[in-house]
Amino acid sequence: MNTTTPPVLKLEGIRISFGPIAAVKGVSLQIERGEIVGLIGENGAGKSTLLKILTGIYQPDSGTIEVNGTPVRLRGPRDAIAAGVGVVHQEQSLFSNLSVAENIEMNTPPGAGGVSRLGLYRWRRLNRDAAATLEKIGSKLDPRTRVGDLSFVDRQMVEIARAIHMDPSRNTTPLVILDEPTSLLERKETAILEREMRKLRDVGAVIFVSHRLDEVLRVCDRVVVMRHGELIADRRTEEVTEDDLFHLMVGREMHSPDRRHRPIAADSRPAVEVSGLTRKGKFRDVSFAVHPGRCTVIVGTSGSGREALSRALFGAETFDSGSLTFGGRPAAGWTIAKATNAGVGYVPAERKVEGMVGGLPAAQNLTLTHPGPAAAGPVILPAKRDQVARTWFDALDVRPNDISLELERFSGGNQQKVVLAKWLNSPDLRVLVLDHPLRGLDPGAAETVNEQIRRARDEGTAVVLLADTLEEALEMGDEVVVMRDGVVTGHFDVATDDPSTLDLLERML
Amino acid sequence: MVNATMQTENVDTTAIRQHELQTVRRSFIRGIAEPLGLIAALVALIIVFSLLNPRFATLENLRNVLDQASVPLIVGVGATLVILLGSIDLSVEGVMGASGMAWILMSANSRGGADLGVWAWIGAIAIGMALGFASGALFTRLKVPSFIVTLGMWYVGLGIATVMYGSGIVPMLTDEAVGGWASSATLGLPNSFWLAAVVVVLGVLTLRYTRLGRVTYAIGDNETIAKGNGVPVARVKTVVFVIAASLSGLAGIIATMKLGAGSATVGSGVLFVVIPAVVIGGTSLGGGKGGVLRTVLGVLLLTVLTNGLILAGVSPSWQSGVSGAILVAAIIVAAWSQRDRLRVAK
Repeated sequence: MNTTTPPVLKLEGIRISFGPIAAVKGVSLQIERGEIVGLIGENGAGKSTLLKILTGIYQPDSGTIEVNGTPVRLRGPRDAIAAGVGVVHQEQSLFSNLSVAENIEMNTPPGAGGVSRLGLYRWRRLNRDAAATLEKIGSKLDPRTRVGDLSFVDRQMVEIARAIHMDPSRNTTPLVILDEPTSLLERKETAILEREMRKLRDVGAVIFVSHRLDEVLRVCDRVVVMRHGELIADRRTEEVTEDDLFHLMVGREMHSPDRRHRPIAADSRPAVEVSGLTRKGKFRDVSFAVHPGRCTVIVGTSGSGREALSRALFGAETFDSGSLTFGGRPAAGWTIAKATNAGVGYVPAERKVEGMVGGLPAAQNLTLTHPGPAAAGPVILPAKRDQVARTWFDALDVRPNDISLELERFSGGNQQKVVLAKWLNSPDLRVLVLDHPLRGLDPGAAETVNEQIRRARDEGTAVVLLADTLEEALEMGDEVVVMRDGVVTGHFDVATDDPSTLDLLERML
Repeated sequence: MVNATMQTENVDTTAIRQHELQTVRRSFIRGIAEPLGLIAALVALIIVFSLLNPRFATLENLRNVLDQASVPLIVGVGATLVILLGSIDLSVEGVMGASGMAWILMSANSRGGADLGVWAWIGAIAIGMALGFASGALFTRLKVPSFIVTLGMWYVGLGIATVMYGSGIVPMLTDEAVGGWASSATLGLPNSFWLAAVVVVLGVLTLRYTRLGRVTYAIGDNETIAKGNGVPVARVKTVVFVIAASLSGLAGIIATMKLGAGSATVGSGVLFVVIPAVVIGGTSLGGGKGGVLRTVLGVLLLTVLTNGLILAGVSPSWQSGVSGAILVAAIIVAAWSQRDRLRVAK
């Protein structure tokens, strides 16, 4: 923009190897003040390694980093913070028991100009400084609010404020790295965040990492694409389309949605029937049915109650009244154990917390719920188990192809493949409930997961899906149920009603 | 599409306003409701015991209860700090024994020796500090769980007290003014209670207004994030253990003073009151949530319970079992609101 100010960030020939594997192979990149640059690439393309170099967690083997015109060596997170590089991680890293202001100020050193003097907190000063930083990004949050009481999107704002917050006496332009900040957000919240991100242009520069290509195109001025550790493309957003980006990232074409009409067989009985289901404060009088081999997508914003509903289907939450029937049998005293026995599978949104046992090897995770041939009664047969796991690893292209590796050491997309396979491994999976199965997945992994969901459906499983986007809902669903504030506000048959995303949105808001 | 965008904008503002209102209401309710439940329980106990025995609701018995509560209150402030970190300090009774014994041997007592006056207090508390520093350092530097370190330190403290006691005669306090100080009244209430009140106020202020206090909450909430934000986690933890053990030392002095004689087991039974009191008060054993004032309510509740059971004429052979059962019931009630289907208790 202004030629007299140096670029906020200038990378020259950054290179780093781990053992024989080169993770980043000579990346050069320049970011000006006021720019929002999208950084995209498949899982394993080297994005996160590059980010870790920028935040001082890894030191590059060669190459130079300049921040605001001065060469820097980032030997640790504190150096990066001091240089003005702030990160908003995919998983939030806030103290939910402390106030907004305390969180924002947490990594500013307590020294001169700090908010504590002789160990004593100056609450007024703390709140004032934090409010000033919040105002820079256009947020009107009360700095005294407890972070645990905030909605997800507000907490994201606090993270951003912390990333740009620094000692007021220093005069540097902050560089904010947003590492998939929207992957956990609902559409409406994403809109708010996008608006706030644009305001960051006035404050500094932004690197925006996201798997949602439409969003990257909407928000960013420029997109850089990484593949196999190299920066293979640097484009102005107005010059490229979503398809171009997908092609650049993955090197293959995007799957075209199939909207084949799948009629319900006349003699078919619903695999799951929900009627008048109510849980006080969460959802009210919800009714729908899903037949074998069909997929019903539930859409709604974060307060719509669809998460609680999906958990009730799996017995993870209770309901107060109404009825739930699986294959004609009423679900009485429904618990997770009963649901699992009845052939219900559930892929939770909080994969790391609820979906997997991270410290156990992938093979054990995969056979945890439905061991199938991997067990004879209570006895586990390790050889059979590994065979089962290997078959799934090949079918789902899980990388690295090592079934004995602890599941927590896989990337998010590959973890999700294993979590899904755990349910698909059941010989009689009748109902599959999926809460945001594509959350945080790169397009390649998302494609694989979707393919498996479709296959399970075509083999006769009834699928209940909480989709991330409305496009996904229309692509995957035979029926779409719209929820708002706990009640059903719309019910479409995709093949006959042919609803548009706008139709769905209208009933969501 | 233009239409849809405008609609989104409208909804946003109302949604946000609604959300802000909700936020305020929710924190208000939480701030009030939990202590209110405890206060209601306390009031209910007081009413029941007053009906069972008219001697319960007298000024004399109030003094009695406050005097009895002073030692667990002082220890409870330290225990709250430690538990807020997500750690635990089991060394309480051992530290009380060591400090109490050191204090009586340095004060005017039946064994003779030097009467060091105020230096006896300082020396005795210093022993507590040293034990606390040892616990904190072993815990943070060698990464041994605080549960085990302080369990060991409990017996180290008892050992120190036993060695100091030796094989001689029981040291008795000879200065009546010193011996009676704790239980004699100022402004109608016992001195031991006033001392405990000062400790409580300092505890509240530390948690609210010092970096140490705020960082304690941060570490309790998520230690990994705290480290990533440059918080000196090991140092803060060590300091908190030193504070807690110093308070145990102070409590050991007061307990010895009330007993009038030196005993290694002067702290016997305190841990059983303090840890449940902290938990009943609503400070989470997982760390990060709670505070000193809640612990005060917990201590008062348990002290009133013990006192009331005695006055209600429950036979001494039943008391231990009855108070244990009531304690478990109280904790179930206190934790009821956090109960969740998928909550994991270990």
